[in-house]
Amino acid sequence: MNPSPNPYSRRAFLGHSAGGLGALALAQLLGPARAFGSGPAIPGHLRPRAKAVISLFQHGGPSQMDLFDYKPALNRFHGKPYPGGNLEIHFDKQAGNVLGAPYAFHPHGQCGMELSELLPHTGSIADDITLVRSMNTGSVDHESALRILHTGRFLAGLPTMGAWILYGLGSENENLPAYVVLSDPGGLPVDGERNWSSGFLPAVYQGTPFRSGDSPVFHLQTPSQVPSQARINQLALLKELNLHQAARYAENTELAARIANFETAARMQSAVPEALDLSGESAVTKKMYGLDNPVTEEYGRRCLLARRLVERGVRFVQLFLSGQPWDTHDKNAERLKGLCARTDQPSAALVKDLKARGMLDSTVVLWTGEFGRLPVSQGKDGRDHNRHAFSLWAAGGGFKAGYVHGATDEFGYESVQDVVSVSDFHATLLHTLGLDHRALTFPHEGRASSLTDVEVTGAKIVPALLA
Amino acid sequence: MPPKGWLGVIAIVLVYGHGFSRADSEISPSPTKKPPISAGSHWAFQPLKRPPVPDTGTPSATANPIDRFLAARLASQGLALGPEADRPTLIRRVSFLLTGLPPTPGQITAFVRDRDPGAWNRMVESYLASPHYGERWAKHWLDAAGYADSNGYFSADSDRPLAYRYRDYVIRSHNRDLPFDQFVRQQLAGDESCGWKPGQPVTPEIIESLEATHYLRNGQDGSGESDGNPDEVRTDRYYALESTMQIMGSSLLGLTVQCAKCHDHKFEPITQKDYYSFQSFLYPAFPIEKWSKPNDRVVYASLPGELETWERTEQRLQAEQKVLREDFHVWVAAHQPRGKVLFADRFDDPAALASHWSNTAPGDDAPGGTPPVTLNVEQGPAARIRDGALDIIEGGGSGDRWLSTVQSFDWRPARTGEWIQVTFDLVASRLTGKGTHAERIGYFIATHDFNNNSPVEGGNILVDGNPGGASSVQVDYPGTDAKGRGAIGISGYKAGRNYGVRVTRKDRDKLTLEHVVDGVAESGTIELKDADLPPGGFGFEYCCGRSFIVDNVLVEASRDDDPEWAAKVSEFRTALEERRKTFEQREKEIASQRSPKPGGIAWVTDASAEAPEVRMLKRGNHKTPGDPVEPTFPAFLRRTDGVTGTPGIPKTPVGTGRRTAWAAWVTDPGSPQAGLLARVTVNRVWQRYFGVGIVATPDNFGLSGARPSNPELLEWLAAEFVDSGWSLKSLHRTLLQSAAFRQSSAPHDPGLARDPADIMLWRFPLRRLDAEAIRDAMLASGERLGTKTGGPYVPTPRDGSGEVAVDESQPEAFSRSIFLQQRRTQVPTFMGNFDAPSMVFNCTRRADTTMPLQSLSLLNSTFVLRRGEDLAGRLHRECGEDILARVRRGYVITTGREPDPVETSAMLRFIETQRQAYAGRADAAQRVWSDFSQSLFALNSFLYLE
Repeated sequence: MNPSPNPYSRRAFLGHSAGGLGALALAQLLGPARAFGSGPAIPGHLRPRAKAVISLFQHGGPSQMDLFDYKPALNRFHGKPYPGGNLEIHFDKQAGNVLGAPYAFHPHGQCGMELSELLPHTGSIADDITLVRSMNTGSVDHESALRILHTGRFLAGLPTMGAWILYGLGSENENLPAYVVLSDPGGLPVDGERNWSSGFLPAVYQGTPFRSGDSPVFHLQTPSQVPSQARINQLALLKELNLHQAARYAENTELAARIANFETAARMQSAVPEALDLSGESAVTKKMYGLDNPVTEEYGRRCLLARRLVERGVRFVQLFLSGQPWDTHDKNAERLKGLCARTDQPSAALVKDLKARGMLDSTVVLWTGEFGRLPVSQGKDGRDHNRHAFSLWAAGGGFKAGYVHGATDEFGYESVQDVVSVSDFHATLLHTLGLDHRALTFPHEGRASSLTDVEVTGAKIVPALLA
Repeated sequence: MPPKGWLGVIAIVLVYGHGFSRADSEISPSPTKKPPISAGSHWAFQPLKRPPVPDTGTPSATANPIDRFLAARLASQGLALGPEADRPTLIRRVSFLLTGLPPTPGQITAFVRDRDPGAWNRMVESYLASPHYGERWAKHWLDAAGYADSNGYFSADSDRPLAYRYRDYVIRSHNRDLPFDQFVRQQLAGDESCGWKPGQPVTPEIIESLEATHYLRNGQDGSGESDGNPDEVRTDRYYALESTMQIMGSSLLGLTVQCAKCHDHKFEPITQKDYYSFQSFLYPAFPIEKWSKPNDRVVYASLPGELETWERTEQRLQAEQKVLREDFHVWVAAHQPRGKVLFADRFDDPAALASHWSNTAPGDDAPGGTPPVTLNVEQGPAARIRDGALDIIEGGGSGDRWLSTVQSFDWRPARTGEWIQVTFDLVASRLTGKGTHAERIGYFIATHDFNNNSPVEGGNILVDGNPGGASSVQVDYPGTDAKGRGAIGISGYKAGRNYGVRVTRKDRDKLTLEHVVDGVAESGTIELKDADLPPGGFGFEYCCGRSFIVDNVLVEASRDDDPEWAAKVSEFRTALEERRKTFEQREKEIASQRSPKPGGIAWVTDASAEAPEVRMLKRGNHKTPGDPVEPTFPAFLRRTDGVTGTPGIPKTPVGTGRRTAWAAWVTDPGSPQAGLLARVTVNRVWQRYFGVGIVATPDNFGLSGARPSNPELLEWLAAEFVDSGWSLKSLHRTLLQSAAFRQSSAPHDPGLARDPADIMLWRFPLRRLDAEAIRDAMLASGERLGTKTGGPYVPTPRDGSGEVAVDESQPEAFSRSIFLQQRRTQVPTFMGNFDAPSMVFNCTRRADTTMPLQSLSLLNSTFVLRRGEDLAGRLHRECGEDILARVRRGYVITTGREPDPVETSAMLRFIETQRQAYAGRADAAQRVWSDFSQSLFALNSFLYLE
């Protein structure tokens, strides 16, 4: 007979609601609503360091050798044929000679982290971040690489890490979606809504985009023709009748959850606008995020919103840029300058603000693109895609402070020392959240699917990144 | 590390399939290592063996074999099947299950009143005979087969305009109960079995055989958009082939073959050699080196006379449309008070293109984009004059480019009221004969410099012409300094109209940007400053696979030399409104008569009769080919009854015969694999009835899958299915006859205590309707449901707010959900909230989410509000002013039953309170009843099948 009757019976009810008949295992994993406040799908496997993640995603493949990974050889060999052997090149007909790195690097902080002059504000948080210079990934194609970074595999339509994290941890604020996407008002990122898809995980784990304007969430506001008393009456009616029906199925938690959800929905109508309202933020805070400067204002606003959301219990917040601006196939130097001007100060302000509020210990801030760029030119002044090396930084939530991990070759083409794959990074990130990447699985494609797919990727936690 | 404790057990169960099954609820805590591979004895890999039906000793109560299998197990726990549910509940169950639609009040009454012993069968047969049966069950197969109307893979997620023919074939096959083994063979090798060659005459049977093969191209296929280096292109092609294999493994055999691509399967007996042997059956149709892109895998096969009739109609309609549009434009051109023409191009002379247009904006030192636009070539990115119009040919790849006028204009009119505008005819929103409908028609004003950090601020104002409505505007695009400025106008971009923008001086440092359609400015404007509008050209945007055709680019400015000019403009506008109404009416009439060229079938066939060599790929990498493989079948699915194990490859009139051989193998009577096919199929059907399959992992029948909860029952059902001639309708009759299906869903204490998860089926499991059933039932309740039975999909565009929904003004907006566009990246928001899948490979089991976004859409979405209005209207039509009658009728329509006294009184009170809430409003009565009707849709009595 059943060796653990208590959880069995409790879960079995969930099982009933999830699938009708509750194959126990499936029920456990399918579960009912958790993304809005109730418990997690799987209790944390490990002692968590972090409980929330803010991902500042940088679409297009930021040029690691111009921003994070100083390579003097580039300038020495500028304009000369690349001496380092074969390169894997995406647009193979446009490849040129070595392209020098136009911006100077300086050491920052007590740790002496070398960063480009384009990133003075990131420099000011050098002692708070882990910089990984030895990332690599599996594709030089934007969409595929995006998916690897967001879902662990290059296939389209799989659950994103935000969805997996939510599935693993549940939410802390039942009146807000636990996975919020703050996309660029200028437009959707490349690959659109797939970037926050729950894939084969239940839809409750999908990211919810907050739009600018009156109705940040679809169908959030009561239609204008419905006076508030009419809506109050309606909610009362639904509660009464649904409770009446549920009385016949007293054991059914799904029916109960659906009844509660109408009330949650009503509370969301005020909770969402409250979270998005910056009027209570001090002038000092706003200035720190660059809200006083048209160049940084937009990105700064979203960084500040991210902090407010995490403050209110949101698990995973992701910021996107429209299109893929870091994709510097031409005019690399100029484009980087503009992009850094826009994002450097707000990104660093977020880390400083979280730290000042004592939230950095429990919040991971992640700054990454999907891949890196090549040491040679594309056309006259651009850089092509490179999957063999890119840099990212992470702050807080158990990541080391003031630490540089790994190294690339002389030209920054390939990660050669302490190489970290995207799946390794995922495993490490989940670990800081108290989740075992091998155990956080969901049945799909006839097997136990996971973010890191360890059987295929061999993903392993990188202890060196963690304090 | 094996996960610890109880949860660990769960994970192990899922990974290894040991320990848990519905029949055997013991949870084994022991297995922590990979199970031994003992394929020889694995239950699912054996030929079917029909088990004896248990003798339960009470034949009268449990005559149905299904019940006897279940009863035996229930009895061992002191449980039994529950009492029969009442008739309204039963007919609702059957109606939703077989047709995906609610029973009509008439059907309910007829069944409840029919006390004849044949009542049940009559009711069941009427639903099985309904064409809606095929629409419902086709959708289930399409889920398993991974059907989508888009190619996926890349973010373009390009269109599959002909996939619908396969969808319709699946509907027809279900409705005429095509034996399932034939259905499978036809999908795998219909082209070879019918032997048709392009150009030969066709019959309806041949057409079906060709349509069926689309099954093999349901996987994601980005090869039409591949633009990387040759290795990447090859990877993209392999992906399409591998997706097909994965779908076949999952939907037919319940196996995860893809794990054997790089190495022998870790949990299953599938070797890497098996994987590539399997691949070699399909490779001739998907030869990597002689690849056909999706749009080229199309054949035209039309019935005699069909094409000629269509061509005649098409010619006539095109001619009518041309005259209509010309007349309209001529009239506009003749009557519109002309401004000062600053620039005009009618694109009559290809040689003159370079003198007017350039890839470099006026004043810029370098072209826009990498690679930039080339003039008068066909290979994109390019601009070419053809047939007196300008083709904007996008070239794929990433990044923006533009084509700009050489001439620069002053975009800042000097005095208040003066304006400058640019307009063009949109001839076609895609290139003739190729490409998809451009999602946007992008164009720039004030193009001055593609440079991201140019010294000139502003300019490069991009207008993103949107087919769905308002056009968004960005200043200083492209680049990171681009700024969204909102949207202008209201009209969507459609071929045959004239579009553009107008800049009007309002004040000092204040200008407005208006959207101009057919010469008239629309509502919805934005404000600009002088700094936004430096001098520059006019240009078209190249982006994102959008190719289109334009003509008559005209830049003009207001006149300051004619005092009566304003009056003339106003007079013209009034006249134009009238003209335009007639014009649009005629356009719609013509459009409704048009149909796509008949006979186009997106099919699969071998590239030649000679099979190319197929090699294993070391570690699954095509850069490291290994030994050649032959088309052979896996050892773990081999007959042991003396009948030849490996059928040879037959000679077929077309193709290599390899797919025919595989199709024959997988349906080979008496073989283990045919047994597996039957088990997988009946299990998926069982899952639709009871929520969870007898095997809880419908896509994994291997050693790592869940064990069957009732192995004998599954075996019996599969054998019965095969013996019935693979008839799904027979299977339904058997299942529907069972007391297990007909029992009540009410709980009781002994059941909850001994089998809380209802593993043994002591009651019918309560289940939520799926996304399609919810939408279709809402439409049916208000008598809105459309009558579409096939043909091209109903588009589900993303509107300006980002919501994906059907435009309800289009003629087929209310069609059943199976006919909505199934674009992978564009699942309708409402349906996605209720777990409609975004197709990756395939979907053998829907999730069942409960979340507040569902509540929000039930309360606030336009779709549900309108359905409430529809139902309110119906209740008024059918019951007049009788309040009680309306309440009762509303309940019957939506929940299939009369309200009980508690519900009735609650509803009557609600009606009263709503009346007060809306008191004094002209539409109060309508609003009260709309709220009532909408509330019915939010009741669990509607959303769930009891």
